[in-house]
Amino acid sequence: MRKFIPGSLFIIVPVIILLLLSCTAGSCLEETESYLKASFYDNTTKKLLPPDTLTLYGINRDSIIYNQKPKVQPALMPLNSSSQSCIFIIKIKGVADTIEFRYSSYPHFVSKECGYTFYHQLDTALVYSKNFIKGIYISNQTITNLNVENIRIFY
Amino acid sequence: MWRTFAYFINLLLFLICSLIQLQAQDTIPITLKIKIGIEISGPAIHYSDKNILNAEGYISVDLDEKRSVVFAAGYLNYKYNQYNYAYLNKGSFVRLGMDFNLLKPDKSLGKYYTGIGLRYGLSRFTSEVPFFEKTNYWGTTSSYIPKKNYWGHFIEVSPGVRAEIFKNFSMGWSISLRMLLYTGTGKDLKPVYFPGFGDGTKTISAAMNYYIVWNIPYKKIKAIMKKEVPVETDDTNDTGTTDNKQQGSGIRQ
Repeated sequence: MRKFIPGSLFIIVPVIILLLLSCTAGSCLEETESYLKASFYDNTTKKLLPPDTLTLYGINRDSIIYNQKPKVQPALMPLNSSSQSCIFIIKIKGVADTIEFRYSSYPHFVSKECGYTFYHQLDTALVYSKNFIKGIYISNQTITNLNVENIRIFY
Repeated sequence: MWRTFAYFINLLLFLICSLIQLQAQDTIPITLKIKIGIEISGPAIHYSDKNILNAEGYISVDLDEKRSVVFAAGYLNYKYNQYNYAYLNKGSFVRLGMDFNLLKPDKSLGKYYTGIGLRYGLSRFTSEVPFFEKTNYWGTTSSYIPKKNYWGHFIEVSPGVRAEIFKNFSMGWSISLRMLLYTGTGKDLKPVYFPGFGDGTKTISAAMNYYIVWNIPYKKIKAIMKKEVPVETDDTNDTGTTDNKQQGSGIRQ
């Protein structure tokens, strides 16, 4: 019996490890979009405060990202990988502001199943009109598919 | 002068005694071999899947009845395609290490191997992404990553078995468990697959190899058999006498 156990383990253990390691999902389950994550802050108290309603869309785009959606925190803003900047119209309580982001993009491998996405390095965030938004602070310039805040919008 | 002479005589006596003791031990004749092996599953997989060609082989030299030095080398041509990207990898690799036969010399007889191999691997490959696409709110972006050369480093543990099926010809298999040390590609462009290692997107990869081996005998040695100490049984009872104790402490001669 003592001789049997080590000999069997020598064969069985590597086979089990091989079987476990060879298991793959076969479909893309990871997050592939690198959103710019924008958190909303109260300009007076400097504390997190989601807007009552938020409308967000890209300039010259037909579709809307958020349409009067309540209590959005954080807002996920997709960037245009074909360009080095993109402009969003952001409406809080029906008052509109225009924000431009300037950045560079580079490819990032997600997984064999999902393929490649783009990560971005944020250079500048500009607010062209300060109707409701008082200021923007860049907290993390690297925009990835991870859930990490990139900018703070004070209003 | 007398001291030096006495020391020399003592040394001579010690050597003679050691030689006599060595000759008194059981030995078994083992033929040390140079082994040339070819991996056969790679071409077989290529026959069914033209997107992957892996060809590899090895040379090993027996140092004694237990240990062999191993040098392996191979070539990989890998292609992968799916709806949103294509990937190409081409290159070669070497692995250097040792095999340790866990069988005792009277079981292995220089013909059978059940053991474990340890290797360090080095891979030189060219990686390329001819196209990839990403679609989001702003539309579809198409791009590519140009061809670039990289060095990959990894270590490998490979338990396996081999047996001589004809005179000087063996067959066997091994499971290779590899740990990635470095690919040189950075964290953003991990290789989907690279020579010698396999799936470069993960830290650990596993593979199974089948070998046909040509053995070239080059030296005969006498392997020393270690004497086994018999296992004590629990049959002794409290009323046991001096006879039982003598049996328990006996060493088979």
